[in-house]
Amino acid sequence: MIELIDYTIAPERAGKGLRDVDFSLSKGDVCAIRTDSPADAGTLLKALATLIHPERGSYRLEGNLLDFTDYRSLLPIKKRIGYIASDAAMISNRSIRDNLLLMRQYYENSLDVTLDKASEDLCRNFELDHLLDLRPGELTLSALRRAIATRELAKSPTMLFIEYPEDYIGLAHLDYFSKTLEALPLSEMAVAVSSDDKHFLDRFANRQVTLSAGTLKCE
Amino acid sequence: MNYIAGSIGRWAIGSLTHIIDILAFNYRMSMLFFHRPLEGRAVIRKVIVEQVYFTAVQAFGLIIPIALIMGSTLIVGFARLSGQYDLGKVMVLLVVRELGPLITAILVILRSATAVTTEVSYMVVLKEIDAIEMAGIDPMRMITLPRFIGITTAILCMFIVFDLVAIIGGYAIVWVVTYIKMGDFLGQIGKAITGADIAVSVIKALCFGVTITVTSLTHGFSPKKLMTEIPEKNPKAFIECFFYCLVVNVIISILFYL
Repeated sequence: MIELIDYTIAPERAGKGLRDVDFSLSKGDVCAIRTDSPADAGTLLKALATLIHPERGSYRLEGNLLDFTDYRSLLPIKKRIGYIASDAAMISNRSIRDNLLLMRQYYENSLDVTLDKASEDLCRNFELDHLLDLRPGELTLSALRRAIATRELAKSPTMLFIEYPEDYIGLAHLDYFSKTLEALPLSEMAVAVSSDDKHFLDRFANRQVTLSAGTLKCE
Repeated sequence: MNYIAGSIGRWAIGSLTHIIDILAFNYRMSMLFFHRPLEGRAVIRKVIVEQVYFTAVQAFGLIIPIALIMGSTLIVGFARLSGQYDLGKVMVLLVVRELGPLITAILVILRSATAVTTEVSYMVVLKEIDAIEMAGIDPMRMITLPRFIGITTAILCMFIVFDLVAIIGGYAIVWVVTYIKMGDFLGQIGKAITGADIAVSVIKALCFGVTITVTSLTHGFSPKKLMTEIPEKNPKAFIECFFYCLVVNVIISILFYL
């Protein structure tokens, strides 16, 4: 499904970046990324989410080479990606509810859409239901991250990239998050997770790669 | 000597690159009018209404007193200076052709252009633009188009309000408060004003709308990683908007009246 070839990304603020990485992710893969540098794991997930332009190398999705020179060509792909990571954001001048509904409001061309049952369940179980009319800036960091996770899971993504769920979602809600992941059609999805939580990885991952000093080793 | 030449060269290249960026942004924004998918119209309409509200409706409390003060001051001054028979022409020349669009533009720059630059800069730094893209939505369409339509519409509305309040309100204040003879002031205005005056003012308002939106959004969208870069962008956007509006004003005045 996803194929990165000779993918090279310069290091950002921290980490070593990626150097000539070859990586593939097929439908049904839940790939664990183990690393001693969380920043590099973040860079790989960001690269998979097409959020970084590579210095060198190519990104193939379902056999098609992605064109990073025009961001518009990446929009239909980004729409299919669930990205639960520390640099995922919400639009600060909209309420949490509006943020959760934005994609549907846009594509269904109506402001009258309401949260569907799946989103309501996610909000209730993530303890967000009383926070929906607040702006993102009024939420605690952990509540904001749970709201972002809700938005990404409600997208029904075909590719899902998760950065350290034990930190991002928080241990208090990790069990519910795991149950939600289990309920997703994982055999139809390509998933990559960076995590240090052995229990979480044992439960979901069916393959593992190790990222060290910007290079990737498959195990 | 080499240092001075190098500095001038870098400044020239930087300025040229910036102007090309603004023109490219303008081109991309114009293209949005030709590519009009059905999806997203409801969301964009909502943002347009919000922008008109923030830029025009909230500014009426400011522009009406300014228009009254300017209108009455000009009427008093020119009624004494040039004699009552030229007053209509003078008011049309000053208020409708020049001051109306310019003062409206300055108010919009002070209130909205800086706000738009700050808002979009924050969106860039806080990765909110990425969040919009991750929803499969083109940020140019979602952020730029409604602000362009909203600000341009707002300038047009504010300019009409400014002209009417400055002329009619200014006249009413002078008539009530002073004994200055103004003759048939409103009749003189009616005779002095031509279709070209109204057309030029509308064109100026539209061009100011484009200039202010494009300049403030170009600064807003420019790549930045740190919050501390945002306060640097605001004064630059403000001064550029003001300068470009003056240039546009002169060009339109020259084209129509000389």
